[in-house]
Formats: sequence, C-alpha cells, structure tokens
Amino acid sequence: MRTEAARRPSPFRGFRAFFWTEVLVQAHENLAMATSMVVQGVLLVFVWILDPSLIGVALLGAILFSMFTMGQRVLNEAAYIRIDHKANDLYLAGPLAPEAYFLGMSVGILVVYLSPVVILWILAAFVVHFTVVLVLLLLGVSAVVWISAASIGYVFSTFFRDNRAIWAYASLFFNVFGVLPPVFYPFDRFPTALQPVALVMPPSAAAALVQHAIGATPLAPGQIALAATSLVVEASAIFLFAIYWARRTVQGA
Amino acid sequence: MTGEALRSDALRKVYATRGAPPVEALAGVSMEVRPGERVALLGRNGAGKTTFLRIASTLLRPTSGTIEVFGHDAARAPDKVRPYIAVVPQEGKPFFHLTPREQIYTYLRARGLGRETAKARTEEALGRMGLLDFADRLAITLSGGQRQRTMVATVVATQAPLLFLDEPTIGMDPFARRAVWESFRTLTTRGSTILLTTHYLDEAEALSHRLYIIESGRVLRSGTAEELKRSVGGTLKVTLSGGNGLAESFRSFGSVMDDGEQVTVIVNPERLSELMDLALRSRVSATVGPVTLEEAFLRVVGRSINED
Repeated sequence: MRTEAARRPSPFRGFRAFFWTEVLVQAHENLAMATSMVVQGVLLVFVWILDPSLIGVALLGAILFSMFTMGQRVLNEAAYIRIDHKANDLYLAGPLAPEAYFLGMSVGILVVYLSPVVILWILAAFVVHFTVVLVLLLLGVSAVVWISAASIGYVFSTFFRDNRAIWAYASLFFNVFGVLPPVFYPFDRFPTALQPVALVMPPSAAAALVQHAIGATPLAPGQIALAATSLVVEASAIFLFAIYWARRTVQGA
Repeated sequence: MTGEALRSDALRKVYATRGAPPVEALAGVSMEVRPGERVALLGRNGAGKTTFLRIASTLLRPTSGTIEVFGHDAARAPDKVRPYIAVVPQEGKPFFHLTPREQIYTYLRARGLGRETAKARTEEALGRMGLLDFADRLAITLSGGQRQRTMVATVVATQAPLLFLDEPTIGMDPFARRAVWESFRTLTTRGSTILLTTHYLDEAEALSHRLYIIESGRVLRSGTAEELKRSVGGTLKVTLSGGNGLAESFRSFGSVMDDGEQVTVIVNPERLSELMDLALRSRVSATVGPVTLEEAFLRVVGRSINED
C-alpha cells in the first residue's frame, strides 16, 4: 500500500507548502493590504495635525500596532477557513502537522502584510534617528509582539462558530489593546496608576521600550525589566500554548 | 498494514451542549471496511454519518468504543492514521483566491509530495474531473458544482489509501457526477478504499460495493444494494393511484406505503398477477417496476422510526 507520508511525523511537516498556500491566498487580496493601514494612517494624520513633534513616536507605535493587528488577521483567516470553507478538515485530516498549519498561516500572513509595515519603517527613518541598537530593538519587539498576537489570534479563532461574532470581538480586542494603551503616544502621558498594566501588555510594553530607546519617554530600570520580562514570558507562554492548542483542537477540544 | 482498512467497534459519541440535554450522535456503531472497497453510509440528516466520518478521519474524539484505520487507533494515535487518509469535508470549499490548479498542487505539496509528482497528479486530477477549462480561474469565479469538483479533485489527487468523502457530489450536474464516480472506481482499482456518505441513492447503488444504513446513531442494516432491496419483502414495486382505501385493500400483498396520492406495494413476482387482477377489478391504475434502493431505504428507516 502506497502512502506518501509513512515517515515519522514532524511538527513542521508541510509548513513550507502551507505557508506558500497562505501567501498565494493573501496576495490576491491587494485591497486588504492597503486597508490594513487605515487605523494607523488615521492616527498618524491626527498626531501630525495635533502635535507634529510626536510623529516619530507615533510612527514607531504604528509599526508595533501593525505587528499586533497581524493577530487579528490570523484570527479572521483561521476562523474563515474553518467556518466558511471547512478547509481545515481537508488539511488537518492528512499528514500536514497541526503546528505547521498554524505557523504556515501565521507566517504567510506576516510576509504578505509586511510590505505596508516596510513603508512605515521608511517613513520613520525620516524622523527618527535609527541606530543599530534601535533597529535591533525594534525588530526584536516587533517579532515578539507578532508572536503573541498571532498565537492569541489562532487560539481565539477556535472558540467561535460564527464569523459575525468574530468580526466584532476581534476588532474590539485588537483595537482596544493596540490603540488605547500608550502605543501611538508617549508612555508618560498614560495615567500613572495604569502604567504597570501598560507594561505587561505586549504592544504597549514594546512601545515603551522603543520610546525609551529613542529618549522620548525615559523608563526606570524596574519598568524596563517589567516590560522586557513580560514581553518575552508572555510571548513564549502564549506561543507554546497555541502550539499545544493547534494540535489539541484538531480532534474537537 | 494488514486486515481491514477501517474497523469500528461499539463507537459512541455524545455531544454535550450547554443548557441542553446531551445528544447521542452515535450509539454503538460497529462496522468494517476492507481494503479496495467502496462503502456508502446512508441515513437521514442528523443520523450520525458525518459524526462517524469525522471520528474515523481523526477530526473528532469518540465518547467510547474503538475505531482503527489500517490497524492504528484513530482516536488515540491520530498521527499514525493521518498519512493514510484524505477527506472531502461536507460543504467544504476550496480557497476562493486560488485557482483549481494552485489548490490541488499546493495541497499535495502540503501533504509532502515532491514537486514533479504533485504536478503530474494535479494535471491528472484536473483532467479526470473535467476542470482543465477552468484550471487557471480563481475559485471565487467558479460555479458551486465546479468548486465541489475542485474539492473532490484535490482529494482524489492524493491517491491516499483511505478516502472519506462526505457528500462528495452535492451540487454537481449528472455529467460531472459520473466523471467523479469513474474517478472513484479508478482509485479503488489502484488499491485505495473509499467510505462516503450520500443522499443520492442512485449514486450509492452505482458506486458502492456495500452500504450501511444508519439511523439515530445506530446501524440499521448493512449489505450490498441487492441484499438491501431484497430485505424489504419483495423485488417489485407496484404504484397504485386513482382509488380510495387502496392501502387497506392491498396490504395483504406486502409492505405498503401511502403518501396520500399514491400507494406503493412491495410484492414478490409470484403474487404480481393476483395483485394486478385486483387493481383491474378496483379500476385503479397500476405501474410496476423494480424495487429501488430508495424504496428499500425508505422502508428500512421508516420502519425504525415507527418502532421508536
């Protein structure tokens, strides 16, 4: 009896192929790529009009917010494939590893939606003095924010049976946690009592670190430690849970 | 791999629903499918067919009982089962922003096939399913039947040892359905096994070596289409119309169904002339034909519902 995959299963089996599948699917949505910048664009215009001196902070925030809202795209895509197309059954009842399904989808979305983010980087380069440290920091926290958001998005997607509910909750979740905390504006303008909360939420923790690096909002050593630790610990924990959950939910958790 | 392609024993599935009593979708289903067979699951909506298929294809855990695919436990060792199976999900759709060619090829690649093999099988599947004319159009621009053909082509192209097909030809025109049937026959000739569900009883009869009739999560009857047809008490169906109280008058000849306008009687050939005499004397019109699988299905399931 022939079978193409009687080998030892790997958690990344099929990742590359499913990643390319997702890139192909997403790449057909040109308008979606443009609209992925609407919220950031509007906020940037507001900041530019109200206080142009903050545009550097806002642009860096827009980069982090864009990475965070990739999670919303993962949520929408995973739910759409499962609820509307039932294509997850097609893929998961086969040799493709559930982990590779989650990661392939997430990385595919990341790659396609990175192009608008690159534009934000270019714009930021005109108003922010990019040092090697800042570039590395921005890349690092962007990656961590993306990992957290994509993992949250995938896990959330498994809780819904109706896309209409998802649109509402996903938009609420990602906009509230991405816009209200100090991501687009300086950390020190956030109410002092709530600052510790902002330092444990991925997008605002990342923004605080970046703002500290450019000297926009100096943080105390304790605040830096809290932001960095919470970013890494949360991203690791959420990512590992998403990997576990991706496998667990194949058989109807 | 030895023995059956699939074997289930006393398989139960109970869905716990918040705020509502639990629903027993499968109430102890035992069945076996041999390698190279085409087997159909028949049943009303909600009978448990899809639940069974989802458990067998490692997409759902059973509440109790066992199910093995090529000797591997589908519930506890799904990773060992998945390389051997492929699934056409009920109401599944291809990615709207892929063409059929891209859909099939990328799916085969995701299953681990090499480039050349994937390309060759993609072209073969497109040809078999009559999709070559639409192969490079985005699926969103295709008709429902063409999309369904794309789904079937995607799964057929895997040539997996065991295929689960949940209503695979729904929405297809008669020509497309026959092309699909032919591809299923070819697959089993090459050694694959097929377990499908369908509400088209002509399809079940034309395609399947054996059938299982499921109702309320239980197997009511199994066997070949011929065996099932014989099991309803006769091989001929007489349809009577144009009189009152027909059901009572003809009940002594065999199983009777009255749909309000017509009465159908299942009868053995040796009593046919006697029945026709009575019809003539009663001045009712009578049409004789062979018992169809649909008749058998309606009677087997109908009897079960009445008994409940």
